Amino acid sequence: MMPLRRFQIHQPKTVKEAAEMLSHYGEKGRLYAGGTELLLAMKHDLLRYEHLVDVKTVPGLDEIEIGNASLHIGTTVTHRAIEQSVPVREKFPVLAEMANHVANVRVRSTGTLGGNLCFAEPHSDPATLLLALQAHVHVQGRSGERTLGMEELIVGAYETTLATDELLIGIDIPRIAKSQRAAYLKFQTHERPTLGLALVLDVDGNGRSITKARAAVGSVSPKPCRSDQADALLAGPRDKVEKQLDDAAKVLADAADPVDDLEGSAEYKRHLIGVYLRRAFVKALA
Amino acid sequence: MSQKAGKKGEFHVVNHSVPRRDGRAKVTGKATYVSDVKLTGMAYAKVLRSPYAHAKILSIDASGAASRPGIYCVITGNDLEGLDPYYGHAVKDHPLLAIGKVRYVGEPVAAAVAVDERTAFEALEHIEVKYEELKAVLTPEDAIAKDAPLLHEKKFEAGALRGFEGEVAAGRGTNICQEAHIKWGDVEAAFKKAAAVVEGEYYFPMTYAYAMEAYVAIADVNDNGVTVYSSAQHPFMVRHDLKSIFNLPVSQVRLIVPFVGGGYGSKSYTKIEPLAAACSWKAKRPVKLQLTIEEAMLTTRSDDAYTWMRTAVNADGKIIARQARIYMNTGAYAENSPLVVEKSTNRCVGPYSIPNVQIDNCSFYTNTVPASSYRGFGCAQVTLPGESQIDELAAKIGKDPYEFRLANVAKPGEEFFPKMRSFDGTLKEDLDIAAKAIGWKEPLAKGRGRSVACSGSDAGAYPLTSTAVRVHADGSVTILTGSTELGQGSHTVIPQIAAEELGVPFENVHVVSSDTAITPYDRSTGASRTTTLMGSAVLEASREAIQQMVVMAADVLKVKVEQIQAIRGGVRCGEAQLNWSEVISKFYGLPDGEVIGRSYIRKSGKFAQLPVFWETACTGVEVSVDQETGKIAVEKLATVGDVGLAINPALAEGQDLGAATMGMGIGLFEELIYQGPQLMNGSILDYRLPRFSDLPKQVELHLVENQDGVGPYGAKGGGEASLNSMAANIANAVERAVGVRIRSAPLTPEKVWRALKERKQ
Repeated sequence: MMPLRRFQIHQPKTVKEAAEMLSHYGEKGRLYAGGTELLLAMKHDLLRYEHLVDVKTVPGLDEIEIGNASLHIGTTVTHRAIEQSVPVREKFPVLAEMANHVANVRVRSTGTLGGNLCFAEPHSDPATLLLALQAHVHVQGRSGERTLGMEELIVGAYETTLATDELLIGIDIPRIAKSQRAAYLKFQTHERPTLGLALVLDVDGNGRSITKARAAVGSVSPKPCRSDQADALLAGPRDKVEKQLDDAAKVLADAADPVDDLEGSAEYKRHLIGVYLRRAFVKALA
Repeated sequence: MSQKAGKKGEFHVVNHSVPRRDGRAKVTGKATYVSDVKLTGMAYAKVLRSPYAHAKILSIDASGAASRPGIYCVITGNDLEGLDPYYGHAVKDHPLLAIGKVRYVGEPVAAAVAVDERTAFEALEHIEVKYEELKAVLTPEDAIAKDAPLLHEKKFEAGALRGFEGEVAAGRGTNICQEAHIKWGDVEAAFKKAAAVVEGEYYFPMTYAYAMEAYVAIADVNDNGVTVYSSAQHPFMVRHDLKSIFNLPVSQVRLIVPFVGGGYGSKSYTKIEPLAAACSWKAKRPVKLQLTIEEAMLTTRSDDAYTWMRTAVNADGKIIARQARIYMNTGAYAENSPLVVEKSTNRCVGPYSIPNVQIDNCSFYTNTVPASSYRGFGCAQVTLPGESQIDELAAKIGKDPYEFRLANVAKPGEEFFPKMRSFDGTLKEDLDIAAKAIGWKEPLAKGRGRSVACSGSDAGAYPLTSTAVRVHADGSVTILTGSTELGQGSHTVIPQIAAEELGVPFENVHVVSSDTAITPYDRSTGASRTTTLMGSAVLEASREAIQQMVVMAADVLKVKVEQIQAIRGGVRCGEAQLNWSEVISKFYGLPDGEVIGRSYIRKSGKFAQLPVFWETACTGVEVSVDQETGKIAVEKLATVGDVGLAINPALAEGQDLGAATMGMGIGLFEELIYQGPQLMNGSILDYRLPRFSDLPKQVELHLVENQDGVGPYGAKGGGEASLNSMAANIANAVERAVGVRIRSAPLTPEKVWRALKERKQ
């Protein structure tokens, strides 16, 4: 890490003002929402910005609200706040548990959910789980607001579909129904996970069959990934699905198309998808 | 006249775990490190580093940077006229800034000196360097190839302070940096008549020592000479290099070392001090050069080692022969690697009594970060193969590896290594304790395995150490010591010894350390030598002070010297009794003044034979292996330090735990990874260090204290040995857990998974 190059920090009072600033500074500016990834990259001289727009100063973006149909998390809510939120722990235990294992406590205390998603670091735990949970994000720019699914937001490593003037203002996660079981597991030996795997299963009353499944895998390739075909193999009578887990893992691995890197070879990561899909399946139905 | 060395149980101050002297200051942030030092008019330097592994420097244009506001100067390899810019205590091959060519990615090419660090850093991209890329040599295999380009074109003389008697091989028209060979008995004949032989190839990775404090130096070069504050382990060795660079008398070069934030060998010998001093020389003001961790990772590392080894046993289960060929990758400059080669060659034998031995070792210059000392000093590199083969051989002849070790380790007093000091440890006792601690004979859960392993190192470096112990008129004591407090506890252990000898309270003994203008000469703080050598010097100097005070007491009491009897904390003569304060005050006629006890240790008497001592330890582990992912967890750890006598048992145990944890890191995850000429994981985000969460739940730390060392009260050094056997231990335990033999460290999950997969096929 090197000394940070000189930059100016701007503290807008409203989302609209933030959008104006982002638009004004263009390539020379970047939104700052915790900085646990951004400042690290700047200290390693991998990114340079002359202006940072501090969205944490905008009131009202740091709230967690549980509605009848969904959970709303403001963009500047920290991982730590999610981890410690009593309603989240009660109604979305899988989310609280995931947040509890993001990086380390210093990162969790400073890093925000919105910042994490917008930085689109390929090893993001929240991005993978939120993809499985069918979350949506609200985005606002100078010309208005739009709503995107996770797959529409993150399109590559460090790459989102946000326009220069747009910022993510909140995340909506549909309520986890009584008939739903969810698990998020990760395999990690380095600073960031080698693999994250999220699984959400809709089960019938007695748990003997799975009516609908949604699996997502992250960290193994540039962005979190899922597959309709894999999800189809994960639905049906439980004993049948258990026999199809290896096939589902293979389909999911094909869709994710893991890359070789310091965390492991593509071959090893494909193997891990199989191991962790089975473990997540067992955990979700436990 | 002085008191006799006591037996365990009789000591007042030593062999007690008094709280460490610097503990409170360090945990409250009040301890001073070099980075806390600020000199008047001090400027700050930042370094421009080479993007190429091997390239000619065609031109450097620093004008764009030098003219920026806040910049005092920019220094490059073209600005060093008037200095002797090459340094190196073993091989003088290292320019303080690249001259004419660069030899690794990350080599310093220029430095900007400015009003603050940020200004210096921002100027760097305005220095224009034109390179012509040359073919790079990255591995020993590349280095030895027929058409391999040469890294060093110059011829080198062996440095007088290289630390061993052999010549250096560097600079003879090849990329060989150093060779070492040992041979006794008839290896070929022994292998022919062996009952069983194991043979294999092993790889020990490049590792980074990760001291929490990265390298930092503040240099002030002016008409009075050179003064440098540095995070150096061996200030006197650095002084020697600076004296030669600036062509000054020793008395005009001063190294000051406050607390050092961890060394582990990485801060031994000269590192960034010449560059900081050259910056100050050119900027004509004090200059601070503080590296980041990422830059420190581009400054030094351990030698990685490719070892072929075979070991033979006879029908009675006695090891009869060992042969090894080692290729070490020492990077772009020799640094201390010639000594590492020498030591790793010796340490291949392990602490075993083997009648036929042949070890051939060769290290190569490559276009990678220069390797140097690393905790254990070449021992860990060869203990991975050595202790793996002990288990492999035991398995082959159907013996319990613990019993097999017991039958073959060197015995106390045995001359197991020709021409060296006879063995001064008790390995059977050590092994027994380690085995019991991890429950060797108890039933094992599925997927778990245990291992005990040991190592023996010819330790202590070269015995040249001196000290002064000043007894003040109030009876308090100041010790002048050149030993550096690196966290190992020397500032606690050294006063414990003086307090024991002088019979004064520990609280009244203080240390002034590591200022070459003030503290007497000490060769180095490394090779586990401080307690043994500096400890002996402090003990002798304390006794010499007592002798002086006995003479003074005779003068005071107007009796003959023979009538004075030294007692704990003072003297007695008939009914009369004086403590040291009374002796000194009465002698000088004022309640002030002092007595200076002096001592030096050299290679003579009980220190005539090397090594100073055999550093011996055993470690034991129990591991569990997740057979689906290949992930290993160390469930139990036991360390047994064979330390003769622990001056401070808690500190000795702490060193063992630290060393074993560092060794576990190498066994499980640590490895600097090069892809082509580029270091891929040169930051602590990517280089995986052990964490608290990796520590075994069950840890037992044991010390064996038979007072069999050459140091004070029978003490020997410790603090490195528990690292050496850990990688082999983990590999052996994994073999016993899941039946796969892995011959390279670290044993990453993927590596274990692949081995398990191969076995299935």
